[in-house]
Amino acid sequence: MPIAWATAWRTWQMTRRAYPWTYAVGTVLPAALTIALAYLGFHAIGGGAVGDDFAAGSGTTAYLAYIVVGTTAFHFAVRMILWSAKALITEQRQGTLGALLIAPAGRLPYLLGFTAFAVLSSVLEFLTLGLVVGVLGITVPVSSVPGALLGGLALIGAVFALSVGLGGLMIAAGEAHISQNTAFIVLGLVGGFTFPRDYLPEPARWFAELLPTTSAMDVLHGSFTGGQTLPELLPRLAVCAVLTCAYLLLGLAYLPRAEARAVERTY
Amino acid sequence: MNQLRHALRVFAAETLKQHRRLFGQPLVVFSMLVWPVLQLATTYYTLRPVATASRAAENWPLAADPERLLAFLATGTLAYAFFFSLVQSAWHLSFERTTGTLELLFLSPAGRLTLMIANGAGALLQNAWLLTCFTVAALTGFGTLSVSAWWMYGIVLLALLIPAVAWGAFLNSLLVFSRDSAFLYTILDEPLWFVSGVRLPHFALPAAVQVVGAVFPLTGSLLAVRGALLEHRTVTELAPTLLGLGALSVLLLVAAAVILRVGEARARQTGALSLA
Repeated sequence: MPIAWATAWRTWQMTRRAYPWTYAVGTVLPAALTIALAYLGFHAIGGGAVGDDFAAGSGTTAYLAYIVVGTTAFHFAVRMILWSAKALITEQRQGTLGALLIAPAGRLPYLLGFTAFAVLSSVLEFLTLGLVVGVLGITVPVSSVPGALLGGLALIGAVFALSVGLGGLMIAAGEAHISQNTAFIVLGLVGGFTFPRDYLPEPARWFAELLPTTSAMDVLHGSFTGGQTLPELLPRLAVCAVLTCAYLLLGLAYLPRAEARAVERTY
Repeated sequence: MNQLRHALRVFAAETLKQHRRLFGQPLVVFSMLVWPVLQLATTYYTLRPVATASRAAENWPLAADPERLLAFLATGTLAYAFFFSLVQSAWHLSFERTTGTLELLFLSPAGRLTLMIANGAGALLQNAWLLTCFTVAALTGFGTLSVSAWWMYGIVLLALLIPAVAWGAFLNSLLVFSRDSAFLYTILDEPLWFVSGVRLPHFALPAAVQVVGAVFPLTGSLLAVRGALLEHRTVTELAPTLLGLGALSVLLLVAAAVILRVGEARARQTGALSLA
């Protein structure tokens, strides 16, 4: 716990001093533009309505509310991956990875500290998205408050589990740009964030089932625009929990090997 | 004459350097081919609920035909990939700051503006084969291309290439003199697709956004590319757009030259590589 706290505090100080605005703008701007794009398309092209296939796939006609939930969740996940998965490669680039590896600190609390910082700072940043949503006059219905909270927690857990393995891959490959952007684009395409997964071809839908974020998104969409109650959401929550545990275990098992490889290559 | 020959040699050398550094790396394949295709699919699916709405066809006849909608979005993705590669090359140039090679470039007798233009043009070969791939895919896959003459493909290439290189030279000059280049990168990357109508037709954008978009050369390039490839426009019909693009490109190059001069003069005085 002290390790997690120290890591989060250090990151907070560093970000506040060196890059106070870079991350906030980088987080909120893409999400705001995606929501604005959907808003303009909805009114100028759809004339304030959506096609029947959307209602069939998503269980709602509230296209804009669906987009707001999905886009916010997607960019939240992206921001968390950018902090948590890139924590180790940032240390590698700055030359402090070796020091981190010989320090008597566990890797899990270190990564949890980063995630805690990522979650708190991103939540603060995403509150400004509320302004955009308010200005555009979009209302987001909530059918189950506990479902939404659990869905949010499930998403955080799922992204953390993904980040552990991804962070290992990054230091082993000594590369972050390609792996991170590919992960984001694949997540955005198959993860069921901004459109129902029914649109996708069959193999892509099966692939999406293997990602822990997909079930978390089902819970989030279900508890906002989906009109589902908590008992109806529980099966998907359980799927998400199982997948999250599996990814976390795999990631933690792989991480020492990735670290060994990263160090062997450097020295 | 001698000066021109010198500039051309600097241009060739810097272009070759940039090409060697980027081409053959997985980065090129991903950022020019894999990411745009996946991004195109995401955009298409995200807009599909709107395009299949019952009144969509009256507002935008294109929307009724999924293949034409996809071709519309694909031209947007293609043009965006062109410009994005230039944004990326400008971002890469700022790495020369951190690695200390920028000083070497500035110490050499090479023309600064030539360097900036060449750095952007390093992506030329990648872009050319990308356009070929796109055209072949569009001809075989969508069957929706409508081109008035075969040499219009040449016009399309020029309408993408010249403004993109000018944009790249401008960005390069700007980013060389900035410390937090990642910030500028974000600012110049995301709004670019929004204001330029990459993923939406221009009529859907509010007037204020259209005005802002007119400053970005991508907007004009997209009008030319879509006009020539999808709407069967002739050169005469596209002439105003093409002339506007030319003027904008010249303006960007002049701005780049001014930034370089001001920045370098300031660096001589203060020793800091920054504009302000």
